[in-house]
Amino acid sequence: MRDPSTVLVRPVQDRLTLAMRASHVLVAIFVALALAFAAIGVAIDDTFYLRLATEALIFSGLALSVDILLGYTGLLSLGQALYFGLGAYVSALVLQRVPSFWAAMAAALVACVIVGALAGLIVYRVRGVYFALVTFGLAQVAAKAVYNTRELGASDGLIGIPVVPVDLGFGTVQSNAPAGFFLITLGVIVVLYLAVAYLFETPFGRVLIALRANERRVPFLGYSPRAARLAAYVLAAVVAGLSGALYPMLRGFVSPELLFFSTSGNAIITVVTGGVGTLAGALYGGVILTVLKSVIGSWTPHHLVVIGLLFMAAVIFLPKGLMGLVRPWIERLLRRTAR
Amino acid sequence: MAPFLDYIQFVLAPQMITGLSLGVAVVLVALGLTIIFGLLDVINMAHGEFYAMGAYLALALGAAGVNFWLLLVLVPLIMVPIGYVVERGLIQRVFNSPDRHVTTLLLTFGLGLVVEEGLKIVFGPNTQRPPTPISGAVEVLGVLLPNYRLFLIVVGVAIVAAVALVVNKTRYGAIVRAAAYDRNMAASLGVPVSRVFALTFAFGVALAALAGVLLAPIYSVFPTMGRDFIFLAFTVVIVGGMGSIMGAVIAGLVITQIQALASLIVSPVWGDPIVFSVMVLVLVMRPQGLFGRLGHA
Amino acid sequence: MTKTASVLTGLLAGTALAVSVHAASAADPIKIGVVTPLSGTYTPIGQQVRWGLELATKEVNAAGGVMGRQIELIFEDEEANPSVAVQKAEKLFEVQKVDFLTGTVNSGSTLAVGQTAERAKKLIATTVSFADSITTDKCSPNVFRVNARAGQQSTALAAWVAKQKPKAKVFFLGPDYEMGRSTVATFKKTIEGLGATSVGEVFAPLDSKDYTQYFGQLRQARPEVLYTSVAGNDTVRLLTQMQDFGLAKNLIVVGASGTVTSQNISAIGSAANGFATGSGYSTQIDTPENKKFVEAFKAANKADPDLYGADSYGLIYFFKAAVEKAQSTDTDKLRKAMEGLEWMTPQGKKTMRGGDHQAVQPMYVVQVNDGKFNIVGQVGGDEAIGPDECTRF
Repeated sequence: MRDPSTVLVRPVQDRLTLAMRASHVLVAIFVALALAFAAIGVAIDDTFYLRLATEALIFSGLALSVDILLGYTGLLSLGQALYFGLGAYVSALVLQRVPSFWAAMAAALVACVIVGALAGLIVYRVRGVYFALVTFGLAQVAAKAVYNTRELGASDGLIGIPVVPVDLGFGTVQSNAPAGFFLITLGVIVVLYLAVAYLFETPFGRVLIALRANERRVPFLGYSPRAARLAAYVLAAVVAGLSGALYPMLRGFVSPELLFFSTSGNAIITVVTGGVGTLAGALYGGVILTVLKSVIGSWTPHHLVVIGLLFMAAVIFLPKGLMGLVRPWIERLLRRTAR
Repeated sequence: MAPFLDYIQFVLAPQMITGLSLGVAVVLVALGLTIIFGLLDVINMAHGEFYAMGAYLALALGAAGVNFWLLLVLVPLIMVPIGYVVERGLIQRVFNSPDRHVTTLLLTFGLGLVVEEGLKIVFGPNTQRPPTPISGAVEVLGVLLPNYRLFLIVVGVAIVAAVALVVNKTRYGAIVRAAAYDRNMAASLGVPVSRVFALTFAFGVALAALAGVLLAPIYSVFPTMGRDFIFLAFTVVIVGGMGSIMGAVIAGLVITQIQALASLIVSPVWGDPIVFSVMVLVLVMRPQGLFGRLGHA
Repeated sequence: MTKTASVLTGLLAGTALAVSVHAASAADPIKIGVVTPLSGTYTPIGQQVRWGLELATKEVNAAGGVMGRQIELIFEDEEANPSVAVQKAEKLFEVQKVDFLTGTVNSGSTLAVGQTAERAKKLIATTVSFADSITTDKCSPNVFRVNARAGQQSTALAAWVAKQKPKAKVFFLGPDYEMGRSTVATFKKTIEGLGATSVGEVFAPLDSKDYTQYFGQLRQARPEVLYTSVAGNDTVRLLTQMQDFGLAKNLIVVGASGTVTSQNISAIGSAANGFATGSGYSTQIDTPENKKFVEAFKAANKADPDLYGADSYGLIYFFKAAVEKAQSTDTDKLRKAMEGLEWMTPQGKKTMRGGDHQAVQPMYVVQVNDGKFNIVGQVGGDEAIGPDECTRF
């Protein structure tokens, strides 16, 4: 008699699922490190480093949004700061009137869906370098508009955004509590990550990936490439906007510089260094870039040279970023344990 | 009637003529960009920084006593080996990556950052300006036009014509077009494709630097000057059709006229958004631009 | 992973050790944090701020310091970006435990850092930002300004223009953003109050490449005076292009104090000749204090001081006077000492108005001639200052 186990068809190990699971492991490690960091921060009664790390996480959210487009649809956005800034300004305006965390987040979400869909109607028609330039142009126009609008504080930005209580149902955290708000931000970013990862496992995500592989065949499968790309664009807008909405809660102000190209450029540097198409890379990249900037920045004002060179090296030598070094190793580990 | 004539003479006509001189400037910057894209299929985000390097070289050599006319030849010649090395050392390394547009865009974006910061370290952050090589002005219908602007328009036309001639009529141009159309075929016919690519990139870089030399006296020289023209130049290249010399010229002249008239009639604030809308409109209606790609015409 | 975690723990513990503070004693230096642009567009201004502060600190320290304590300056680069400025200010307050902070250049950074200071219960002063809002509608009990604001500059300049050309026809050309527009609006109101008429205005986008496209409107309006509030590279282009197109003839060109500065004057060259502006400083001020300052500044930095360098230099003496008056660096005591304080600077005696934390000082009208700012007019501090419009404290 044959061993029944050999007859059972073992589910085929899907490379994509495996890659995503490896990302989950990397994010779990990230969260564990972040929690350890928060614990140490509380133990030594630190303020600055916890708040700096919170800011790094917020900008990681923006990087995550860039990765949704670049890593999963192959579209490089040079203007993702538009949605980061939109979320930040909407959140700031809401908080000035109603000091409610949830109202600010909801308003940022709605604003980004609406603006993302409207802008998406233009940008989903174009691809490649055209997409890059159109997104760049849109962000420039928006930044100029904010820069010139007195009601939005014009070039000075808006100050005086109050400290908000974040009502979590089981307790309340003030947005100026260093460790508390760090954990809230970590929570928001992880939720965004999980939501995106979940969506990419659904048929919608598969269409996106198929689009990258061969765009001409996708319509024959009954899917519209443009609709999928539009959806990805709106999703990226929302992720950027919700991250941006956290910014005024942390710093108490917003300024038009949040919409400038340097903000978009930093997010791109973050994703490319961390690893395009890994999602986890955006989180690690955000932390690495912040550490690099503060370390290099303390010994030379020309830190852009160093960061630029490192970035170029990453493009040439690490096409999959730092995650590209680590993730295959975890994938092998996962495959072995699954066996 | 008199106020109307007054308007045409003192406002509209000068506006269009200065728009023309800006147009020539933009075309000069866009020319190298469109050639690099047309042949190599590479997005050169560092193009503006090569333009800045040309301007700084002119400034430094000019201060050392080199004659302006000599600079027009010398600076592009200095930039050729620099462009060659950049292509062989950087661009070629990622040339065969799956998504060439994005990868080269990223790589040259990084290069631009480094060059801009490097210029700041070497030349300092302050604005500088070389003396205008041709002084004086002529009066046309009661409006003064600087001689150097007129010179720029003439030289710009000559450069564009020369480049078009080289690309379309010479043996080297034929080789370049062949390599752009089908590199494998060209390679099998004995064309040293990788050297042609590097030289063409270097040629594009030299053109950017030449634009820097020519425009420095008008637009002044500072480390972030590369960002000034780059968006407009990219717009021109896209609207004209990536890789089309003819397209770049026409788009460059038309777009700067639109901008000049928009800022006069509507408001200067709307100049940039209107140009951007034109770009989006062209992309939506005719994604390949007004004219086709180099070698594919 | 545990290894990484332990490395991280070690790192953090190390930093914690390094930053742990002990009670300040008389021998400890007084720390002043400087958040200023050392990279980005405003680098040249940041350089003047740094030179001014360092020179004054050297002098004060050599003369025995402040209440026997040395002054220590700690610099951080703000990249002319409020987000970075706030992050760096927080680092200086929380980690370095500075007693005072200064250096911000663009008004957005000053306002945002001012709020950070309020939340950290510390004081800051700006030596550069001239937006009126900082000491009017957006004033803060924790923010002081030792330099002249836009209104003071406008008043001095308008008085001079009205004397040169009574009932002048004035054309305005500003950069198209809030600050540029409000500067133009302030000057327009002042000069119209003195009998001038406005014949037109145009706002050009920031970083305009070619100002020639606005010359049509300028020509048609046939003004006698042109007021501009463009700055930096934009001024270089505007003034040189005006010269090339022969527009500068028979036209008095005046502007904001940031329009022609020591950073861009050499690039403008002869096209800057005749340009006049209201300013809080000129190297030509004929006092022994200023002569000594200019000489020392030149010796130390191989460059002339400008108003940013001079005001930053003066700030250290302001701080010194306040600490000595308060006999403390405690925020509340220091604030009280600073309000109404009189102190000496290269520009002469300045007074810190208590009601809005705005320095009152004599204002000058300076006119460019061959790369030098010559004083052509002067307005007393009380005439130029304008009313106290701060209602927050």
